[in-house]
Amino acid sequence: MEKERRPKNIFVQGPISPESIAKSIANHGSKTDIGGHSIFLGQVRADAKAEGNVIAIDYSAYEAMALEKAFEIREAVFAKYPLNCMHIYHSLGEVKVGELCLFVFTSSKHRKAAMDACDELVERIKAELPVWGKEILDTQGHVWKLNT
Amino acid sequence: MPTTIHIKAFGMVAEKIGTNEMSIDHIGDSVKLLDALLVKFPELKTVKFSLAINKMLVSENQKIPENAEIALLPPFSGG
Repeated sequence: MEKERRPKNIFVQGPISPESIAKSIANHGSKTDIGGHSIFLGQVRADAKAEGNVIAIDYSAYEAMALEKAFEIREAVFAKYPLNCMHIYHSLGEVKVGELCLFVFTSSKHRKAAMDACDELVERIKAELPVWGKEILDTQGHVWKLNT
Repeated sequence: MPTTIHIKAFGMVAEKIGTNEMSIDHIGDSVKLLDALLVKFPELKTVKFSLAINKMLVSENQKIPENAEIALLPPFSGG
């Protein structure tokens, strides 16, 4: 039966826990046609800005649009690469430096598809999802994150 | 009864204009809406942002449907 595809939530309140990532990896143990996984983890960096040092990022999103866009990206990447599985999680709210804010996980029969798809997903997520990071500084001020 | 447009603002744009949600009387197209917004909020001239109509990014002048949801979106910085 063709699996029904519809937008699903990608947002997690606060940081993404390493335990949830380990659990997600473990959940694939029963899918024995998978030969390779690729994982990208985004971590909040303690950048030094002219106005102060970053101690956290407060993420906000236009959630309804972001979920539609994420679904469109997911469908396009599934169509382009022979993937068995794809998971995307992005934080909302405050994530402190050293904590994880993005988890992208792709699996395929052979490694190349998983690796290329993961890379493409990360690039498209950063460029196309209406999500914003407010960098909280140790000087009590903030600056708006810019993606490069 | 005049129809309205619902406007949501995000990130730096919401910060600049001091609100993240408002309703205004219907305006016919996206160019006219931008003009009206710049008059109402001159501070918008100093920020870069895009418009979305009903969750679709606007790239050229577009008609605004009745009761549309408009979003003012500063450059994305997720991840």
